[in-house]
Amino acid sequence: MTNYIIRRLLYLIPVVLGVGLIIFILFNVVAGDPAPLLLGKHATPQQVHELREQLGLNKPLYMQYFDVVRSSFTFDFGRSWATRQEIFEMIKIGAWPSLTLTIPAFFLSTVISILLALVVAFYRGKGIDLFIRFLCIAGMSISSVAYILFFQYFFAYKLGWFEISGYEPQFPDFFSYVALPGIIWIVLSLGPDVRFFRTVILDEIYQDYVRTARAKGLGEIKVLLKHVLRNAMIPIITYVVIQIPFLILGALLLESFFSIPGLGGITLNALNSSDFPVIKAMAVLSSIAYILFSLLTDILYTVADPRVKLK
Amino acid sequence: MSSQDTRSLWADAFSRLVKDRWALISLLVVVTYALVALMATLGIGMPDWRSSLGIEYLAPSGEFWFGTDLFGRDVFAKVIHGTKIAMSVGLITSLIAIPIGVVIGALAGYFGGWVDDIISWFITTFSSIPNIMLLISITLIMGKGLLSVYLALGMTGWVGLARLIRGEVMKHKEREYVQAASALGGGHYRKLFVHILPNVTHLVIINTSLQFQTAIKSEVILSYLGLGVQGEPSWGTMIDDARMELARGVWWQLAGATLAMFIIVLAFNILGDALRDALDPKLKGK
Amino acid sequence: MLKRLTIILSLLLVVLGCTREQNYNEKVLNLISPQKIKGFDPIYAADMYASNEIGKVYEGLLEFHYLKRPYVLTPNLAESMPEVSKDGLTYTFKIKKGVVFQDSKVFPNGKGRELKASDFVYSIQRMADPKLQSTGWWLLDGKIAGLNEWRDKYASAEKVNYDEEISGLKALDTHTLQFKLVKPVPQFLYALAMTFTSAVAREVVEGYGQEFQNYPVGTGPFKLGYFDNSNRIVYEKNPTFRDKFYPTEGAPGDEERGFLADAGKKLPLVDKVIVNIIVESQPQWLNFQKGSADILGVPKDNFDQTVVNGKDLHPSMASKGIKLEMVNSLDTTYIAFNHEDPLFKNNIKLRQAMSLAYDRDEANKLFYNNTAKTAHSIIPPGISGHKADYKNPYVAFNVEQAKKVLAEAGYPDGKGLPELSYETVGSTVARQMGEFFVKKMADIGVKVKISTNTWPELVKKTNTKAAQLFGMAWGADYPDAENFFGLLYGPNEAPGSNSSNYKNAEMDKLFKQSTIMQDSPERTALYEQMYVMAADQVPWIYGMHRTAVTVLHGWLKNYKYIEFTQTQIQYLNVDLESKKVLVNKL
Repeated sequence: MTNYIIRRLLYLIPVVLGVGLIIFILFNVVAGDPAPLLLGKHATPQQVHELREQLGLNKPLYMQYFDVVRSSFTFDFGRSWATRQEIFEMIKIGAWPSLTLTIPAFFLSTVISILLALVVAFYRGKGIDLFIRFLCIAGMSISSVAYILFFQYFFAYKLGWFEISGYEPQFPDFFSYVALPGIIWIVLSLGPDVRFFRTVILDEIYQDYVRTARAKGLGEIKVLLKHVLRNAMIPIITYVVIQIPFLILGALLLESFFSIPGLGGITLNALNSSDFPVIKAMAVLSSIAYILFSLLTDILYTVADPRVKLK
Repeated sequence: MSSQDTRSLWADAFSRLVKDRWALISLLVVVTYALVALMATLGIGMPDWRSSLGIEYLAPSGEFWFGTDLFGRDVFAKVIHGTKIAMSVGLITSLIAIPIGVVIGALAGYFGGWVDDIISWFITTFSSIPNIMLLISITLIMGKGLLSVYLALGMTGWVGLARLIRGEVMKHKEREYVQAASALGGGHYRKLFVHILPNVTHLVIINTSLQFQTAIKSEVILSYLGLGVQGEPSWGTMIDDARMELARGVWWQLAGATLAMFIIVLAFNILGDALRDALDPKLKGK
Repeated sequence: MLKRLTIILSLLLVVLGCTREQNYNEKVLNLISPQKIKGFDPIYAADMYASNEIGKVYEGLLEFHYLKRPYVLTPNLAESMPEVSKDGLTYTFKIKKGVVFQDSKVFPNGKGRELKASDFVYSIQRMADPKLQSTGWWLLDGKIAGLNEWRDKYASAEKVNYDEEISGLKALDTHTLQFKLVKPVPQFLYALAMTFTSAVAREVVEGYGQEFQNYPVGTGPFKLGYFDNSNRIVYEKNPTFRDKFYPTEGAPGDEERGFLADAGKKLPLVDKVIVNIIVESQPQWLNFQKGSADILGVPKDNFDQTVVNGKDLHPSMASKGIKLEMVNSLDTTYIAFNHEDPLFKNNIKLRQAMSLAYDRDEANKLFYNNTAKTAHSIIPPGISGHKADYKNPYVAFNVEQAKKVLAEAGYPDGKGLPELSYETVGSTVARQMGEFFVKKMADIGVKVKISTNTWPELVKKTNTKAAQLFGMAWGADYPDAENFFGLLYGPNEAPGSNSSNYKNAEMDKLFKQSTIMQDSPERTALYEQMYVMAADQVPWIYGMHRTAVTVLHGWLKNYKYIEFTQTQIQYLNVDLESKKVLVNKL
């Protein structure tokens, strides 16, 4: 097990190298020159040249890639080109609003989905199953942009139930700002989540051991909770945990529409202004989170199912 | 599992699909949309979205079912044109993403070893970068427009399928029928493409319906980011227009595009579910 | 699990129930910034939004008079307007005495020290510092004696020496500042009213190092209280602000409109300013309607809800005490031809035909709700050089004429003309404007395809002369035609500000001649000559001079539209009594 974990952690190295390479090629080699952009509408050619020099854009490409690699492993991302802010500081400040939005919303949507999935699995094939499934599918067939526009207009402005936009970092003040975007998040995730969990649960329901359990006279609810849910845990864990790294990046559209100052907005701004150091930092951090959480999934497997051995 | 078994599995699946009323209706919806898209592409019998009626922001009426837009163009005509864009986005991105996913997944799963190591590394690297960054950067490189929407969505859409196929192929590789094929002297490619792949086709079909609707929804988000279709209406640009219209009470562009999208995505979802139920042998005899 | 869930849900509802209470004891201004604010370093105040924020904390030598129109400069930190030598090369300023920087831990005992002339020397040196790459360097580039030499000397050095004396930039004593220019530059004083040249203290810059931009310490009316660059900025009244008073005279009509009600009162008039950063237009509008923002520029699609008959406030809003301000802004929109492209370079007929085919009245209706004015040439009304009586024959919409001229250009009905490419950015409005342009060109047979870019891409394309046609707008940096004519000046070609790469020897000659002339009837005559030339030659398809449409709540007092907004906030006032009443009507 320890060996396995070490091996997986070492795997971080090639992945971060790869991510650095992809991002570097896309944004440094192919995308626009950031220098004139940073200097504004009156930039002189001399300034453009000097700034390129200072940003290291005149160095040979392999040297530039080497800088990317170095900063990825030292976490010294430097300063944003566009805002001149310390990138680490930006991420620290931006992570909180993003997480206060995504984590409660993610937690609630997962819990509600599992409950609903159990309900529909219990009533499988009956009217209530069809009804909930239909609602879920219908819910996910509407564009997220449409939800945002309408909910903000109707619930926040017309009915005045929520703040229209903005953010307050203190607990519990932020709840009133993240509530509406959080609800939209939940509405958007219910569809895919319930469908997935239902499938997983149904996969188990037709297994032999379930039949045996039923034959032993266990009630359907007991069978569902004790046997089925437990055995369905592995796919559920995988599905849930692997989404977590992307929670950190926040929800791009929700943050932008509800003026939540999170990482989604930082990423979007960076992409819009060719702010390479920030893009790189976000990509590298998210890939590290991704690897760590997939490792966590593997470890949770062994907890959920002692038969699984990590080699 | 002999080839005869496989055939009867498909026949069985088909008969079950047909029995499912909702799936049948959904299939009908998809076909209708495809026909509308085809006719719009060929320019047969479809209203012209370009012609301005001169009066901006007319509310829906008997004459203009979905009202008119800022330029006084018929929103219904725009919805129709949007259908063409949406269906083409779904189709072409699937055509790009699915072969990539199948080939990469199958190679990794079948050969294992260093091939698998490299492909797995690539898949992991690729999926650890947030999708939106890849989407934006590909459109940055390709320049804006429909073509880069196709490519961006196609080139990011294969990862899930590749993983799935890799896993399935790995399982099948150990099965008796493949062992038998190699005993009979079948080469790698014969084994992989003739024996194994037909047995994972159901995954591909289910995935296509998923890919289709994801692509349609992603087009809206790309349009919101200003990276979508240019110079012609799409559901995405219509919803994007609504960003500013809703507060002044113009709801019909949003409603028109959302409704059109809702119906087709819903149909794909139901169809996808039905296909899954029909094709997944595990659920047989439910 | 279910029980826990219920608890969480009910907790959530309790929290939601608490909405924020309004505080009526303090005068608070609530504003919206539609863009994230990068930081508070004056030398990077290139965009209007950053400049607005920096201008609350920092001040410069001069400012634009808040009420007088046309715009005039008045002393701000300067005691009076400078003494200018006969040859127009030496400017001597007396600095106000007793002005202190805001209290900060970088000063001894935390008490802000007095402002000295040498602070301006330092601040202006920072603009020239090659390590810092100020976005305002163009204002001073090649103008102050010795400054370019100083800049070049340290361009590749390890460290820049600020103690070195610069011949054209000196503090003669603690309160006397002298500039020596290399040539007469009539626009020089405008530079001293811009946020770029605000006074910063060397102790603060060096004390905070790279974090300086987050800890502004100026002499201005407000102190920064809270700063989250993508969420909210809060300012408190600066307790050590000098005695600065609301103007006692304004433009004709200001008295009647109540702009002089606070005449002679000590500034600033409010206790606190909250700036919320809201990028999306829907929440901006909804927040204003709810009263959580005092003032808002009206997005085009909200116009019908706001204005009737093109000039009056909609009754539904008027009944809530909302007021409307509509004033010409000093700008010009245009679609630029790339004159490096042989297609346009020598084919003035083609340019004329396309200009004739562009329907400005319809564009005005669709995009500006009939509030904009057709641009006949490059200079907007309100800046001398604009000829109100001149009508450009090629901006009148005339499809027949356009087709005729197009045939004369060698492309009858567009035949033989390749498909043109129109570059634009991806915003909703920009996309709609592009669609409109394509439609109009199609009417005369000119095929245009839209290519949408992110802002960096468009900048790259224009800088490398790769954009064929592109939509732009130019707003005045200062009220002088030179700021506009520079866009058509040959030597400014890309990557300079002449991004359409227009070259015309005669224009260039006149421009060069005008840049060293002081404001005078002769210069205005020269500007008018260039104005007509810039119309005749159709270097661009001129669009509009836009009107700024702003709505404000009844409780906001003294709001008068000003093009150069950086010092505006200190003049605004809030009537708490009327706010109590009006908020209930919303």
